[in-house]
Amino acid sequence: MNTVNGRAAVQTDGAILEARNLALSFGETPALCGASFSVRRGEIVAVMGPSGSGKSTLLHCLAGILVPDSGEVFFDGERLDTMREQERSRLRRDHFGFVFQFGQLVPELTAEENVALPLLLGGTRREEALRSSRTWFERLQLDGLERHRAGEMSGGQAQRVALARGLVAHPDVLFADEPTGSLDSLTGELVMGLMTDSAHAEGTTVVLVTHEPRVAAYADREVIVRDGKVTSAERVLR
Amino acid sequence: MIRLGLRLTLGSGREAALRVLVTAAAVALGVGLLLAALAGVNGLHAQTDRGVWLETSLQPSPPTSASGLWWLPSTDQFESQAIDRVDVAAAGTNAPVPPGIAHLPGPGEYYASRALTRLIASQPANELRDRFPGRQIGTIGAAALPSPNSLIIVIGHTARQLSQAPGAVEVGAIQRTLANCYHCQNPIGSGPVLQWVLAGGALFLLLPVLILIATASRLSAVRREQRFAAMRLVGATPRQISVVSAVEAVVAALAGVAVGFALFFVFRPLLYHVPFTGAPFAQGDLSLGWIDIVLAVLGVSIAAVVSARLALRRVQISPLGVNRRALSRPPRIVRTIPLLAGIAVLAYFDAHGKPGSNGGQVLELLVGIVLLVVGLVLAGPWITAAGSRLMVKRASRPATLLAGRRLLDNPKAAFRFISGLVVALFIASALIGALSSITVASSPGGGSAGADTLAEPFCSFSTPNCPASAQVPSVPGQVLAELHATPGVRGVTLVHQSPSQESFRGPFGNSFGVVACDQLAKTPAIGTCAPGATMASVGYFLSNVLGHNSHASSMVWPTVDLSVASAARLPVDAVVVATTGSSSVIERVRTTLERVFPFQGTPIAVDAADPSNARLLTMIQDMTDVMIVASLIIAACSLAVNIVAGLGERKRPFSLLRLTGVPTALLHRVVALESALPLFLVAAVSIVVGLVSAALYLHSQVGIAFRIPGIGYWVTVLGGLAASLAVIASTFPIINRITGPEVARNA
Repeated sequence: MNTVNGRAAVQTDGAILEARNLALSFGETPALCGASFSVRRGEIVAVMGPSGSGKSTLLHCLAGILVPDSGEVFFDGERLDTMREQERSRLRRDHFGFVFQFGQLVPELTAEENVALPLLLGGTRREEALRSSRTWFERLQLDGLERHRAGEMSGGQAQRVALARGLVAHPDVLFADEPTGSLDSLTGELVMGLMTDSAHAEGTTVVLVTHEPRVAAYADREVIVRDGKVTSAERVLR
Repeated sequence: MIRLGLRLTLGSGREAALRVLVTAAAVALGVGLLLAALAGVNGLHAQTDRGVWLETSLQPSPPTSASGLWWLPSTDQFESQAIDRVDVAAAGTNAPVPPGIAHLPGPGEYYASRALTRLIASQPANELRDRFPGRQIGTIGAAALPSPNSLIIVIGHTARQLSQAPGAVEVGAIQRTLANCYHCQNPIGSGPVLQWVLAGGALFLLLPVLILIATASRLSAVRREQRFAAMRLVGATPRQISVVSAVEAVVAALAGVAVGFALFFVFRPLLYHVPFTGAPFAQGDLSLGWIDIVLAVLGVSIAAVVSARLALRRVQISPLGVNRRALSRPPRIVRTIPLLAGIAVLAYFDAHGKPGSNGGQVLELLVGIVLLVVGLVLAGPWITAAGSRLMVKRASRPATLLAGRRLLDNPKAAFRFISGLVVALFIASALIGALSSITVASSPGGGSAGADTLAEPFCSFSTPNCPASAQVPSVPGQVLAELHATPGVRGVTLVHQSPSQESFRGPFGNSFGVVACDQLAKTPAIGTCAPGATMASVGYFLSNVLGHNSHASSMVWPTVDLSVASAARLPVDAVVVATTGSSSVIERVRTTLERVFPFQGTPIAVDAADPSNARLLTMIQDMTDVMIVASLIIAACSLAVNIVAGLGERKRPFSLLRLTGVPTALLHRVVALESALPLFLVAAVSIVVGLVSAALYLHSQVGIAFRIPGIGYWVTVLGGLAASLAVIASTFPIINRITGPEVARNA
């Protein structure tokens, strides 16, 4: 039986991550109204939808960042939404990776230190963490940028560093929220190519939030969120 | 544009209002502390001004035939309290009258302050009252009392009587302004030394307060700058942005000034309990002059505008956004040169001897201190950078790495908010280091017996030019009998003048005396005779009175070929009385000796410093303690404001870190480390430099061995640093709140 944070897991039809009937409101404004979603291990799923549809909120609930008002979230068969904040933090640190649109690098740290950060947080020795971090620089075409800081890199370079940071600890799930939103189309393509290749190579599940069909095309499957619900039938892209 | 600035500041919703409020609160705190410091300075001036009449004989104005007044000031002692005693006698019909009394006391009359009157009434007459001849005819008014608890007495005599007293001078007027002369600290502790300490203390307190105000006015700088960038996009010129920024700064500063004044007036009653000088203030002492008020209102507003302007200069606000991440050049090692030069100056004079003239000595001290203060401020960023570089190099945990990198990124900014504390700690450490060494050196090491043994050095012992009329030919038998009969007295030793005075003069002009060994055996605090000797020649065993440590108790005095009977016929230089140490016995002996020898000064314990010097040292020590505590409080406030400002800038990266699973405890550690490292590192350097400079100065100029300050100093410093850590910890809930997931979503 699988366990997450020492808890017993329940059967979720082979899905590594599953949301059932999620509802969440911000004050009077409903963000999710009965959204259900699941993703299998190693799968790349694109969550599409117009601005304000609730797709980022869905991602945050799946990642344990937000707790839904009602509904259930399972990770590896374990109820995630009922965990305490501390347990959810540990889960995010040990099992999840994140890539956001911008501003996610710690500005004072060098690129290699930024990438090594999740490993350091997990207790890896500094030399070892930096060594692991450097292997990603060649892989993501970032050679020579190890000692650069966020302010000394282009948007595409910073986003690839963030991608390396999201994957360096070999997470089970990588959450990417508009990862190409601040990039030009060419750089966006490069980042998405590297992300999907690396995820497939590592066997990492990716939940990709985007409103760009071109970006969603990199996913194995696509779901549409509208008015807080996963409305469309799932469409298999690959 | 000013109207637009006002509208943006006051009418831009909750966040803008909150920003102004927070900035105003921090400015208010700084202004409150600034006003407290100014009021403290004014209070000290008021105390000094009211006590200036006691210095009448220091720079006496020449008397006319009608205005002559004989004046003899001295510092008496009761237990640990100093009593200012002035013996007066009218020499002319129009003799001046000291403040606080209606007319001069006649022979056999005296005026006493209210506190002394109460003290006299509460003690047995033979322990205090009997020292003062005559009867009390009134109390000295508050206008003549430095502090409500001042112990002062004015005793009347005949002119013939007082003119014969050693040290009495005829004056033509009562001193109304502070004497401006070297060694004018007596008799109430006011004078140049205290004035210098006061001025220096105020200046060094002002610096951290200004830094606090400047830091406060930069709160929420990031949001403001983003808004300015948006204004530039729609066509605002850099000049217009400056005006809007200045308006915002002034509004917050003025609000802060208003609240600061309110805080000051609300908490002023508590300030009266702060022991600035060890003596409580009188009502109304802690007032503010109009110059203080104008200075606070205008100074703080100007400081806020200048600070906002400087903050804008550090960033480039273009229509496309704010650019601030250009790395500043790391501080270079050349910054340590002035600091090393300051130490070198003091070390040079330590090795080659002090300059010959007083002016040269003052210049040496000034050059050394200025170099050290400037050096510490310049070297601070380099020291911070060196410490953080080491921290980054050795970092194995993310918190250490993040904090070290942040510090290394801008060590100048990290140091800036503690620079005031650094200066204050340096000055305080140097002062307390010097004071504690002088205090230790002033005690002659008579062991416990030294505190129990009283010595009354007569004019002939302590004054090279003692008039013959003031010499004591003998101590009457009934006085000796009274002393011996006093319960608790263990022995009485009479120190007689040496038969050949000129050949037995000590280095300070004081004479060597001779004592009978059977008497000396009963007063071991001043040494012993060689075995079998009957008479001994004692050295300057009481020379602690002259500021020199003689360690008399361990002395075995050389034998003198003189019969006890011959010695008994020689004039008396001093009376030494050993007691059981009970304060009642000591005060009774002191009272007996003062009653019998009224103009020969105050008997003091062998290991005690001169009462007026001791009081000055205590006053400086108290002021320094207040300075340390105040500067630590201000530094802690700056620290809190700086942390909050820094968190505002890092809201997004911190919230994203938290979002990816970083526990808040780690963020707490990051913030604590990046605040505590410069604080502790530079505080340690300041303390070491302060103590080293005190050691070098004492050794070269005063010839005194340096002693590490006592436990009180370390408790104060460590307590202050612990309080600073508590202030840092108090910002943790803010970290938790502003780095929540919703911030990452909205930032």
